[in-house]
Amino acid sequence: MIRLKLNPLTRKKLSRFRSIKRGYWSLLFLLSVYLVSLGAELFVNKKALVVFYEGNFFFPTYADQISGTRFGLDYSYETNYRDLKNKFKESQSGNWVILPIVPYDPYEMDYGEEEATGFSSPNFEKSHFLGTDKTERDVLARLLYGFRIAMTFAISYLLLTYLLAMGVGSLMGYAGGKIDMVGLRFVEIWSNVPFLYMVIILVSVMPGWWGVGWQVSSLLFIMVLFSWTGMTYYVRASIYKEKAREYVAAARVIGASPTRIVFRHLLPNVISTLVTFAPFTIAAAISSVTALDFLGYGLPPPTPSWGELLKQGVNNLRIAPWIVTSTVSALVLTLTLVTFVGEAVREAFDPKKFSTYE
Amino acid sequence: MNNTQNLKLKKVSVISLFLSLFLFSACDSNQLKPPRDNSSAADESEPSHKFLIDRKLARELAREFGKEFAQEFVRQMQESNTSLAFPIQEKANNQSGTSVPGIVDQEGKPHPLLEHCAEDVIEYYKKNADCFIMATPEDIPAGLNWQDGTKEREFASPAAKKGGTWQVYMRDFPRTLRTIGPDANGAFRSYLLDYNALGLVHAHPNTDGYYPGLAKSWAVAEDGATVFYRLDPNARYSDGNKVRVSDYFFFLYFMRNKHIQAPWYNDFYGKDKFKKVTIYNHDTLSVSFYKAKPDIVERASIRPKPEHFYFELDGEFLRKYQWKPEPTTGAYVVYPRNVDKGKSVTLVRQKDWWADSKKFFRYRFNPDQIKVSVIRDYNKAFEVFLKGDLDMFGLSKSEFWYKKLPHEHPLVANGYLTKVTFYNQTPPPSYALRINSQQPPLDNLNIRKGFHHAINFDLVLEKVFRGDFIRMNSVADGYGARSHPSIRAREFSVEKAKSCFARAGYSKLGPDGILINAVGQKLSIEVLTSYKHFEDVLVVLKEQAKKAGLEIKLKMLEPTAAWKVANEKNHQVFFSAFNSFVELFPRFWEPFHSDNAYEEAGNSKYTDDGLLKKGLTTKVSTNNFTQTADKEIDNLIVLYREEEDLARITEMSHQLIEKIHEHAAWVPGWKKPWLRLGHWNWIKFPENWGPKESRDYEEFHVFWIEPKEKQRIINAKKEGKPISTEPSVKIYDRYLPK
Repeated sequence: MIRLKLNPLTRKKLSRFRSIKRGYWSLLFLLSVYLVSLGAELFVNKKALVVFYEGNFFFPTYADQISGTRFGLDYSYETNYRDLKNKFKESQSGNWVILPIVPYDPYEMDYGEEEATGFSSPNFEKSHFLGTDKTERDVLARLLYGFRIAMTFAISYLLLTYLLAMGVGSLMGYAGGKIDMVGLRFVEIWSNVPFLYMVIILVSVMPGWWGVGWQVSSLLFIMVLFSWTGMTYYVRASIYKEKAREYVAAARVIGASPTRIVFRHLLPNVISTLVTFAPFTIAAAISSVTALDFLGYGLPPPTPSWGELLKQGVNNLRIAPWIVTSTVSALVLTLTLVTFVGEAVREAFDPKKFSTYE
Repeated sequence: MNNTQNLKLKKVSVISLFLSLFLFSACDSNQLKPPRDNSSAADESEPSHKFLIDRKLARELAREFGKEFAQEFVRQMQESNTSLAFPIQEKANNQSGTSVPGIVDQEGKPHPLLEHCAEDVIEYYKKNADCFIMATPEDIPAGLNWQDGTKEREFASPAAKKGGTWQVYMRDFPRTLRTIGPDANGAFRSYLLDYNALGLVHAHPNTDGYYPGLAKSWAVAEDGATVFYRLDPNARYSDGNKVRVSDYFFFLYFMRNKHIQAPWYNDFYGKDKFKKVTIYNHDTLSVSFYKAKPDIVERASIRPKPEHFYFELDGEFLRKYQWKPEPTTGAYVVYPRNVDKGKSVTLVRQKDWWADSKKFFRYRFNPDQIKVSVIRDYNKAFEVFLKGDLDMFGLSKSEFWYKKLPHEHPLVANGYLTKVTFYNQTPPPSYALRINSQQPPLDNLNIRKGFHHAINFDLVLEKVFRGDFIRMNSVADGYGARSHPSIRAREFSVEKAKSCFARAGYSKLGPDGILINAVGQKLSIEVLTSYKHFEDVLVVLKEQAKKAGLEIKLKMLEPTAAWKVANEKNHQVFFSAFNSFVELFPRFWEPFHSDNAYEEAGNSKYTDDGLLKKGLTTKVSTNNFTQTADKEIDNLIVLYREEEDLARITEMSHQLIEKIHEHAAWVPGWKKPWLRLGHWNWIKFPENWGPKESRDYEEFHVFWIEPKEKQRIINAKKEGKPISTEPSVKIYDRYLPK
């Protein structure tokens, strides 16, 4: 096992974080929900977990699509495992199916035999725990997959903005002089470009032939492009501050190269400032991608997304209150938890130990 | 400081230079025109010191310094008490009965009825002398059967009252107030033009007859291709100017002008269709169509263009008239002061509209104002409607009819709101998936056919629309006998779709259940639309198509953005609907002729074997969204357009529908046999709700507003008192096909 070599100061900060219960548990909860959502296919999916058919086991969850004919059904497209389960039960042939807890995927429309024309209220019998939306898609499934996308999106957003901000910030801070001057002016100008409008404009001209993956990544890229500037100020200022310290002078005297000084000596000391911002950046990313979706400029339909759910919920407030209730609760819960984490991180990293965060 | 002074000095010197020039030239008597005699007696009693700037000078000025300068110059001249009348402005036109044929006489002077025309316009008429003909009243053939529509019955209600403000909404602010040219084809145009401005003659919406508009009577010539119209002497534009017979000349000049940047109109009103317009005297004209047609009266009935407003067209047209609506012959006018950019446009009813007392108009166009506000979101508009800030709301969608505003809804149950189903008889708006047959892989017929079979409209009709709509079957449903009797839309069938796709090389299933071809390309097709309110429909289609191994990507854009993509033919599949014209027989040329798909004209697009050549130039901004280019279809359409006989037209229409069905670039969607809407009960409709051919609740403007009733309902609603014991739901099935 690799021994985690942590600097005693960091270890102290971590233990202080752990001692702030509210933030600590929030983090654990968020992480576990995120982990569950990463494996959402196992919990919420129209594909069965295990199928036992005529002596063979099938694990369709992560496998290629299995057509109905494979299980003796009369259609060539993907097997409907819920029907399959009922069929096996009726025929009592010894075949069986294990379905996930919620046997729907976020895209599937559960137009059953009866009058199912959208907006079915929560129904435990049919495992629609949070009801269905306009086209009979399971709200819980869309929530969970939407959470996964939003979270992944937010984390990548965080990493990318920080990477950019750290690069530009430390360059400006360490190099100083003209580079600093020009860079700072550029950042000032760039940060005055209205973020949301730019994103809306760019997204609306995005060529449609791009796949969903491309579209999502370009949305991410565009958002990063217009929001990395805020963090550069902090990086630059911290580098400026640190650069004047004796240990930097010492390193320089020994003959360390600028790259080494920046990466080995300065950044580790700067990063603590940045970490305190991280949870808030995540919260901002989640809310802006939701806002964009809500406005119809975010993820292309029918990608499950909270913004789209929120929109449906708001538009059908009177006839399907369960959509807006569950989405708003999920959104509020997530953002609150993220804020709790942020608050705790800030407190843990605060040099003045006994001050409180307002 | 110095600079501005210099500039001022320069200006003054230029003006004084021209003033002196003008005075000098005024001394030259043969350049001076005699004072105009004005028709009004009051003018005559004034000592006439009016004289005109010489035409040449005016043009010189305009050319050198721009028209604005020339006009400003004249204005200043007028202010400095040198009364001037600029030739751009209105001139007396009291020359009725003059009988000099020809656009210009031997001396080169324009015909008295064309005296007010700009030189360029006259030049244009002269150049196209075969199209613009000045004749004499003696040339009107004797024995014409003049009609005036007196036999037709009114379709509006005598109970109608004038007054009130009708509140409606639009999804997007209009990008222009022009009615022609780029961006003019938006939804707002109907308020300016389609449902407002009058034509010469209008088709009666309840019968096969006609009723008079700007023409008080009309007659079809013996050849069946020429129609004579006699203008109503009262016909006026909203700016008070009379509708002149020469405005119909100007209409063709206008529609054929390249500066309006509207190729469709350039073509539609081109010489090969509108052979000529003949003016006989101040109120009689005839329009000659290229062919005799059964519905020639309607076809030849063009709208006048106010020449006094445009004068002539130049490269500035688009910019100049972007926000400057033209004077209209209709009841409602847009004044620039009523345009709140980005928010709303209020149309005002003319105080003394010239048609106020005419039989077919007196009980129509009743509200004093129409306030069209921008509400970008459909669902929000619905909430605004429930609040009472919109008077009507279309309830075609099942979701609204059954779930959002059910019969038990308090507003309906208490009788504040009425839900109406009106069965109409009209060609349906063409909800369809238009496949761009130029874009790979859709250039392959098998892919297109497979696409048809992979589209599950039946499920959409059953589940999303709850069986309220019926499937459209061909490109021309609703045209009586001209529609095809037996062709049915291709049904959803996984097997058929897969076998079609297999023939095109897509035979292997990928890991995600989407077909791939030999080189590993996924069968993925993008569907473009601006109809966000039909997202559910498209999502159902997308999920169902997966069963057939087809991936559909949805691209939903703002209306204007989507329109741009489709207009440039950059779409793969375009989901949209167009209003069909209420006509005797369908149009095929615009949406299916290859001349609207590629720039190369006629048969030069095809190789000797009748196949499309490579490297053709796509034609943008046409209605051929399927990019259909098929030699056989082309030839048939040409023949179809030539044909005069209704029986032959019917036969060819069937052939064309079959061929287009075979070409498989148009997936018919749905149609609805009715109009459904909700309206507040202060809006009143005639006894039968509306005419048979109503496509829209505002199309014929037969409703009216009861202001007292409005107050009563608002008060009752506030107090929670019902005004009716039964839900207010009405069905008008008089025109329901039996």
